[in-house]
Amino acid sequence: MSGHNTQDNTLQRRPRGRTMYQRRYNYVSEHVRSGIHFSSHQQQDGDTATTGIHMGTGIRYAPYTIPCYYQRENFKKRDQTRANMEKEQKPPERMEEKQDETSGSWFKIPFGIRYDEKWLLNLIQKQCSVPFTPVEFHYEKMQAQFFVEDASIAFALKTVNGKIWDEDNEKISVIINRSDAPHSVQKELKSEKAEMIKVMQTQDKLCIHIQTHLFFPHLLPPFTTSDSEPLNPMSNSAADHEQVKSAGQLAKGKGLWPEEMSANRNSLCTTIPDKSTNIRSVVPSVTPGEPELPLMVPVGRRQYYLIYDSGVRQGLLGAYHDEACFSLTVLFNPTDQAPSSLFEYFKDNRNMKNLKDPYLRVQLLKHTKRDIVCSLCVLPKTQHDLLSFVVDMWFQTERMLCFSVNGVFKEVEGKSQGSVHAFTRTFIAIPASSSGLCIVNEELFVRDAIPDEIQSLHLPSDFAYPPSAPYPHCHRSSRKCWRLSPPHLG
Amino acid sequence: MRPFRRDWFQGDRGMHQGRSDRFHEEPQTSHTCGGSRTRENVVTPPLTAQAASSSPMAMAVDFKTYVDQACRAAEEFVNIYYDTMDKRRRALPRLYLDKATLIWNGNVVTGLDALANFFDVLPSSEFQVNMLDCQPVHEQATQAQTTVLVVTSGTVKFDGNKQHFFNQNFLLTAQSTPNNTVWKIASDCFRFQDWASS
Repeated sequence: MSGHNTQDNTLQRRPRGRTMYQRRYNYVSEHVRSGIHFSSHQQQDGDTATTGIHMGTGIRYAPYTIPCYYQRENFKKRDQTRANMEKEQKPPERMEEKQDETSGSWFKIPFGIRYDEKWLLNLIQKQCSVPFTPVEFHYEKMQAQFFVEDASIAFALKTVNGKIWDEDNEKISVIINRSDAPHSVQKELKSEKAEMIKVMQTQDKLCIHIQTHLFFPHLLPPFTTSDSEPLNPMSNSAADHEQVKSAGQLAKGKGLWPEEMSANRNSLCTTIPDKSTNIRSVVPSVTPGEPELPLMVPVGRRQYYLIYDSGVRQGLLGAYHDEACFSLTVLFNPTDQAPSSLFEYFKDNRNMKNLKDPYLRVQLLKHTKRDIVCSLCVLPKTQHDLLSFVVDMWFQTERMLCFSVNGVFKEVEGKSQGSVHAFTRTFIAIPASSSGLCIVNEELFVRDAIPDEIQSLHLPSDFAYPPSAPYPHCHRSSRKCWRLSPPHLG
Repeated sequence: MRPFRRDWFQGDRGMHQGRSDRFHEEPQTSHTCGGSRTRENVVTPPLTAQAASSSPMAMAVDFKTYVDQACRAAEEFVNIYYDTMDKRRRALPRLYLDKATLIWNGNVVTGLDALANFFDVLPSSEFQVNMLDCQPVHEQATQAQTTVLVVTSGTVKFDGNKQHFFNQNFLLTAQSTPNNTVWKIASDCFRFQDWASS
């Protein structure tokens, strides 16, 4: 009998006393935990199958004692105890409803007794109408398990239950449990994604796809702080361009909201502009009415940027929640002799350090999509240096994404034409449709640029615009990009 | 960048035992003396029943209430936070939730232990806040956990370092009791405006 170890063979044929089994069974039943489920049916003397119990945890397999699943003599159908046990031992509803990131649903197929893998799988396949690929076939204690990727395959396998017997004429049960992707697959996925990102980096193409899995961000390679280096808060985190020693991690909101059940996951967080990158392509601001550009996160040399063109205001408005909030604050240097180049922002300035009137504080907080539209449209036309953008992604849960964009822009028309300003734009967004963002809160802070920022400003007039589309990857697989635009404008 | 010095004890000399750091009801900018020293807290009056409701319809109706409460919490919070940062640094971690995260110029600090260590290492500070804005965070984002977005900007001088302009934002989350609302920091993101060249 292939696959059975000799101990099993011996034990099978050993005469057993009832008392011993009952005692053992009682012990087992007292220690039943949720992980226990039927594993194998074994027959003897033509009796209908007894039920075996697989102990997922807690009970060690002692080689010279009799495993519980051999207690078939005592568990005949007519035995009331056994009937009760059957009911008790029904596999619990352990459908893990977690949506996992793999393309299919994973199912665990557990068995009992150490059968030979090939023999068992062949046996199953003979009975199963659907070809299946077992993943990570292994034994947990005496229970054989493997994973299959598809729900339909799993259910097809389930129909094999009770239709296969081993060479001792013992029925083999097939039970399915929904589960997370097996570790090997998860690892594969991770490395796949890492490969993709690496390829993009070496090509110096500025594109990475933040999929809807941003809300399950463990697919992105984590950038972690080097543990060996003590954190120096005053150090310039961009001092070393080669190694991002202290890039951030996205905080998963575990434990902050009582309903959160997400596990600890890492994701990419703060970015540092790569001054060594030669890419200077800039998407010019687009006047209202032109097709919007997809929002994407480009990557160059381990650094990530969030590209955002605030000129595309109409297109972006589709991304605002009906009840979104928007407010604007302005700071200018009061010692400036000339009238401030920021004066066009003054009327919406909601800086609460100066604004104390509670009524005005409410008024200046734009509340509906329509109000936000109006506010944004009357702001001066701008041209942004997209490559100056630095993004902090500072909070994330499965329900929201919080990030801030820091950068500079130039006024391209009006009295302040040519003025360079700096901004920090803070967003709180929630997922929308299949791969979209929906902004629920936005705060825009505009100020004079400091000399360093002005000097580092690079706009299309300074550099030749690259001939190819700047973000070809994202355009092609736009499904996987965050799009700050309503789908119909795509 | 000159190495920093651990001079934050200077800030501690300003601390007095026996000060009450608890603020009740009306926002106060000064400390009340007397009584035993209590936990650092940002406390505002209890949220109104309507504002605390998680019904989406209630949200639309009570927007003004949400805004008022957010403003009150934000102002109270900003006063306490920067004052604590400057003068009672050791108490600062108490303003954070256990699992709160700070992102400081791109460096991530998570959890109270790490926060305590970080603020211990950080040199003494003198903050000047010139800009403050706040918004109630939409309940769809927070699943009805009352939350306020606070955005600040200003200048800061850390001992041994030059002065910087900074931008900062916080997520404050409300923990309501029948008598008051205690606000804690769920996340904190800080950045020098000139971090790239500092």
